[in-house]
Amino acid sequence: MSVGSPAAASPLILLHRVSRLYRRGIDEIHALEACSLRVERGRFVAFMGPSGSGKSTLLNLVSGIDRPTSGEVWVAGQELNRLTEDELARWRARHVGLIFQFFNLVPVLSARDNVALPLLLTHFGRSERQRRAEIALRVVGLEDRHQHLQRILSGGEQQRVAIARALVSDPDLIVADEPTGDLDARNAEGVLSLLRKLSAEFGKTIVMVTHDPRALRFVDEVFHLDKGVLLEGEEAERAGEAMRVAAGGGLLGEGALPTQAPGWAKTPRG
Amino acid sequence: MGYAGFVYANLLRNPLRSALTGCAVALAVLLVCLLLTMPAGLDALLTRVASDTRVGVINKSGLVFWMPYSLMRKIRALDDVADAVGMVWFGGAFEEQGKVTFPSFAVEVEHIPGTYPDYAVAPEALAAFARYRDGAIVGRQTMRKYRWKVGDRVTLRSNIWNVNLDLRIVGEIPRDGSPIVWINRDYLDEAIKAQGQAGLGIVMIVWVRVASPDRVNSVMLRVDELTRNTDYETTSQTEKTFFSNFLGSLQGFLQILLMVTALVSLCIVFIAANTASMAVRERSGEIGVLRAIGFRRRMIFALLLGETVVLSWAAGSVGVGLAWLATKSLAQMGGSIAALGPLGGFIVTPRVIFQGLLLSLAIGVFAGFAPAYGAARRPVADTLREVF
Repeated sequence: MSVGSPAAASPLILLHRVSRLYRRGIDEIHALEACSLRVERGRFVAFMGPSGSGKSTLLNLVSGIDRPTSGEVWVAGQELNRLTEDELARWRARHVGLIFQFFNLVPVLSARDNVALPLLLTHFGRSERQRRAEIALRVVGLEDRHQHLQRILSGGEQQRVAIARALVSDPDLIVADEPTGDLDARNAEGVLSLLRKLSAEFGKTIVMVTHDPRALRFVDEVFHLDKGVLLEGEEAERAGEAMRVAAGGGLLGEGALPTQAPGWAKTPRG
Repeated sequence: MGYAGFVYANLLRNPLRSALTGCAVALAVLLVCLLLTMPAGLDALLTRVASDTRVGVINKSGLVFWMPYSLMRKIRALDDVADAVGMVWFGGAFEEQGKVTFPSFAVEVEHIPGTYPDYAVAPEALAAFARYRDGAIVGRQTMRKYRWKVGDRVTLRSNIWNVNLDLRIVGEIPRDGSPIVWINRDYLDEAIKAQGQAGLGIVMIVWVRVASPDRVNSVMLRVDELTRNTDYETTSQTEKTFFSNFLGSLQGFLQILLMVTALVSLCIVFIAANTASMAVRERSGEIGVLRAIGFRRRMIFALLLGETVVLSWAAGSVGVGLAWLATKSLAQMGGSIAALGPLGGFIVTPRVIFQGLLLSLAIGVFAGFAPAYGAARRPVADTLREVF
C-alpha cells in the first residue's frame, strides 16, 4: 500500500514506514517493520493476523500509547512522535477512545461514573459530566443501568459500558483491542453491531484488532499483518480469503457471512 | 464523581484492609501523642509544685550527704530570707505495706508555715502539728491511696533510723499530686535518743523561702558562700531546678520511650507502604487503562498518593482525637495516673495535636510515595502489555 506525503494528505490516520523494535536483554524483537497505511475519517477498519503479528503494537502506535522506533505516525493531523509524554496523554484524552478485551472497568464505580472517568480530564462540571455519561450510556443501550456496579453487569453489558467510556469524550478515533475476545457469540455480535453503528451513524473512525472472523461482516476495511509486516497485494488477498472461508463455512456455519453490505453500511468494504 | 470521590471510592475498595491499616496508623499516632505529652506534663507538674521563691540547699556531694543543723540558724539570719526549714529523710514505710511508697521527712514544725505558705495547709492542721509531737501532715495523694483521714493513727517504720514511729494524722497538704508526709523533727530526735544515740544534729535538705523572686540568685550565692571551704559545702538550686534534676533520670527514660515510639512509627510506615504497594499491584491493569485514556503521570501519582495520605490523615486524626479524649478523661479522674508517677500527667497541647497531625501526614506521604511513583512512571504500553 502506498501513501502520499503526510503534508499533502488529510486522512485521520497516516503511518509512514513505521517500525517498532523491542529489546529484551541482548535480544531484539522486530514487532513491526516499515508499515505504511492510511485510514480515512469515518471508516471502521480491522487489523487481523495471527498472534505475534504486530496487530496490538500497531494499535498502540495509532492510539499514541507507544512510540515507533522509526517512521512517522500522524493521527488527526498531529505527528505523535513530536509530543512529550504529558502531551501525548493530553492528546489521547482529547482524540482517542479506548476499548479493551477485558473491559477494564473500575469495579468500585457505577457504570455512569466509569463512563464519566475520561471527562474528569476536561473542564466540565460534575452535572455536565453526569449528563454526558448518561447520554453515552443511552447510545449503547444501557440507560437503565447507570447506577449499577460492574459485578452485576453481564460481560456484554460491561463491554457496552467500556464502549460508552470510549465514546463519552467524543473522540476522533475509537481504538478497540479484541473487543469481542471475552464475549460469547451473541454478545460479540451485539458489540460489533454497536461499533458499526457508531461508525455509520456518528461518523466515528474505528480501528479494531481482532481474531474474530465475524468482524468481516461489520468492517469497511481489513489490514492483514504477519510477522510484523503489513501484507499487501496477493499476500493480503490470500489472508483475506482464508479469513472469509473461516467466517463463511468453517467457524460460523454456512451463510454466516452476508452476500451484500447491510443497509446501515455507508461505505463499501475494502 | 470528582477526583475526591474517586480517591474515596478506591479507599472503600477493600474496606477491611483500609480499616486495619487505618487502625495501625491511629494507634501509632495515639502512642506518639501520649508520649509527646509527657515532657509537657512533667513541666506542668514542676511548675505546679515548684515555687519561684523557694530554694533547695543540699550537700554539694549529693542528696545522701548531710549538713550540720547549726547551718539553719545561719541561713535564717541572711538578708532576704523569709523563712527556712531543715528536713531529714525519714524513709518511712507504712507497716502494712512493708516498703517505702511515699517520701517522708522530719521537719521543723514551726518553720513549715513560713516556708510553705503556697501549700495552703489549713491553720488548724498547722496548729495541731505544732501541738502534738506525734503529729503528721500527709499529702492528699497518699491520704487517698491509703484511705487515711485526719485523726487516723498510723505507724511508720524508718528504713534509715531503725525506729518505728506511731503517728497521729493532724492535717492534709491539699494538693492532688502530693505524696509527701511531714513528721515532727523533735519526735524523731527523741526516738533516736531513746535508743542511746546522739540525736539528729543534722539536716539533709534545707528549703529556703526568699522574700522576693528577684533576690533568689543572690540568696543562693550567699547560702553557698556560708559553707565554702567547709566539710559540708552546699549547692543551692531553685525548687524547679531541684525537682527537674531529681527527675533527670525520667527525662532520659522519656527520650528512650520517644525513640522506641519513633521506631514503631517507622514500622507503621513500612506496613502502610506494603499495603499501598499491594493495592497498586492489584490495580496495575486499571492504572494502565487510566494512563491510556489520558490520565497524566502526575495525576496518577497524585491519586495514588492521595489515597494513602487521606487514609493516614483520617486515621491520624482519630489517633489525635483519642489522645485528646484520654487527656480530658484523665483530667476528670484527677489529672494524673498515679502508677506512672511524675510521667502520669498527660496534657495534649495544641502543639502535640499539630505534631500528631504532621506525623500522620508524614506516614501517608512516606508510605504512598514509592508505590505511587513506581506506578506513575511505568510506560503505559509496558503496563498494558504485561496485564493484557
